[in-house]
Amino acid sequence: MLTANSIILSLDSERQTLAALGQVLNVVILVACVAVLAAVVVPRLRPRLRMTLAGLVGALTVGELALLWFHVRLWQLCQVTDPSTGLVTGSFAVPIWIESEKLYVWALLVAVLALVARRHGDEMRPILAVGAVALAAGAVLVSQPFTAPLPDFFAQYTSYLTASNSGDINMAYSAFRSAESSRLYFYNAWYMWVHPPLLFFSYGAFVVSFAATLLMVIRRRSSYEQTAYRWARLGYLPLTLGMVVGMPWAIIAWSGDAWWWSGKVNMSIMMWVLYTAYLHSRIYLRRRGMWKVVAVLAVLSFVALVLTYITTYVVPGAHSVA
Amino acid sequence: MAEKTEHTSEAASSGTGPRSRRAGWDFSLMVATVGLLGALGLQSLVGTLYSWWAYRTVPGWEQTGYAGFIDVMNLIAGPLVIALIVVMGLCVPKRLFSRRTLLAVSAGMLALGVGVSVVRGSFLTGLGVYLGVSAFIQVAVVVLTIADAGGLEYVTEGRLAKVGSGLLHLGFIVFALTIVALQSSSMMMLAFMTSGVLLTGGSAMSFYARSSSRGLADER
Repeated sequence: MLTANSIILSLDSERQTLAALGQVLNVVILVACVAVLAAVVVPRLRPRLRMTLAGLVGALTVGELALLWFHVRLWQLCQVTDPSTGLVTGSFAVPIWIESEKLYVWALLVAVLALVARRHGDEMRPILAVGAVALAAGAVLVSQPFTAPLPDFFAQYTSYLTASNSGDINMAYSAFRSAESSRLYFYNAWYMWVHPPLLFFSYGAFVVSFAATLLMVIRRRSSYEQTAYRWARLGYLPLTLGMVVGMPWAIIAWSGDAWWWSGKVNMSIMMWVLYTAYLHSRIYLRRRGMWKVVAVLAVLSFVALVLTYITTYVVPGAHSVA
Repeated sequence: MAEKTEHTSEAASSGTGPRSRRAGWDFSLMVATVGLLGALGLQSLVGTLYSWWAYRTVPGWEQTGYAGFIDVMNLIAGPLVIALIVVMGLCVPKRLFSRRTLLAVSAGMLALGVGVSVVRGSFLTGLGVYLGVSAFIQVAVVVLTIADAGGLEYVTEGRLAKVGSGLLHLGFIVFALTIVALQSSSMMMLAFMTSGVLLTGGSAMSFYARSSSRGLADER
């Protein structure tokens, strides 16, 4: 039988284990990043780019497995108990792509795409590799998923445990309601297991599409446009589905809150309408000069994607951590 | 790239027959759609920048100014969304009717929507009726396309791509209808999921049908 004190002790122990693993993993990932960058920058090392990318993917995958183990332990430990009945209502199933782990998942995805890209692979790979390195370094140095995991989740859950242990039934009940609400409508919600991964996959595909668009603008060859389009259409499908399934969840979970026209929602709409405009206008690509319009829309769409991501951390609102 | 595309564009633009007029009409609708989508995107960007500024400089803005901000955003977005829905309304029955009949049908649909708005005193009800009629016509378009009935005009080639395009437009209409009329209904979740499946499935068919048919042709 888990008690608040035993949960706190076990969580501390698991966090220390993850941090110890993470200190080693951080070094390995950063070394892999340096190796990839060297292979991009030094012409003599360019033939080794795929190998170094495979190393980065391997290091990031080991890290992801460590995070997966940590989340399984959270599922086993982080229970919520109704103070009025003493019954356990459930455990937290924390998705592996939220808070401090978001950038990490994106880095892993882009690194995999850089490794497996086939069409124009030799030209696209260096661009994608630099993107993967930037994301991986950002994840390790800024987000710190191993040494400072899930800060918001732990702040809320620790506060719930403290209130449960306080002996004040009103405080305990208030903390229980807050924790249970988060568990049901956020962490354990089906939507959290569908909406973010769909968007991450689309973001990854759009990164590849943007790399091909850059090559098209620089080298003026239509085959790059084809590659950009292929990846953009692949990204557009999960983006559309992810956004549509997010809408009913927002209506239910944020009922009464001011979420419509909030920063992140605005920017997501902007990104989607721009990608829609890009793919729509492409039907007439063969018209004179139309490829320039298509290229501008493709670049603007990707800029909107980056701004959408940044908005989460900069502009306050319902769908934000600013 | 420019060299490669010029021949095709000249060939397309030199024609004066019904097919090239149809292409010109379709292109105009595409330009209008892209322009409206761009305007909505710009509005979203300006709205985000404004809310970022307001959060930083106006103390307690979420409590005092957010409701007014939403009203202004709705006021600006309203005409854009209505125009988008009207353009979509023009896109939808264009498969079934000639251009003159199409304009008459579209004007009739608009008049019906405005009439219902006036009679019922509710703009959203009128919009809902307009979208409902659009959805009905679009379902007919999809059924006729699946049945491979003659007389339907599409920019795209191949039946799968045409069905995809039809489903995609139907998805947009169902999505708009859900936002306008079904947000508080018990059907809300089902309607959203239906629009999600139609939008994604329709997009996938539109995107991949042509490449798969090309692949089959190559194999032959």
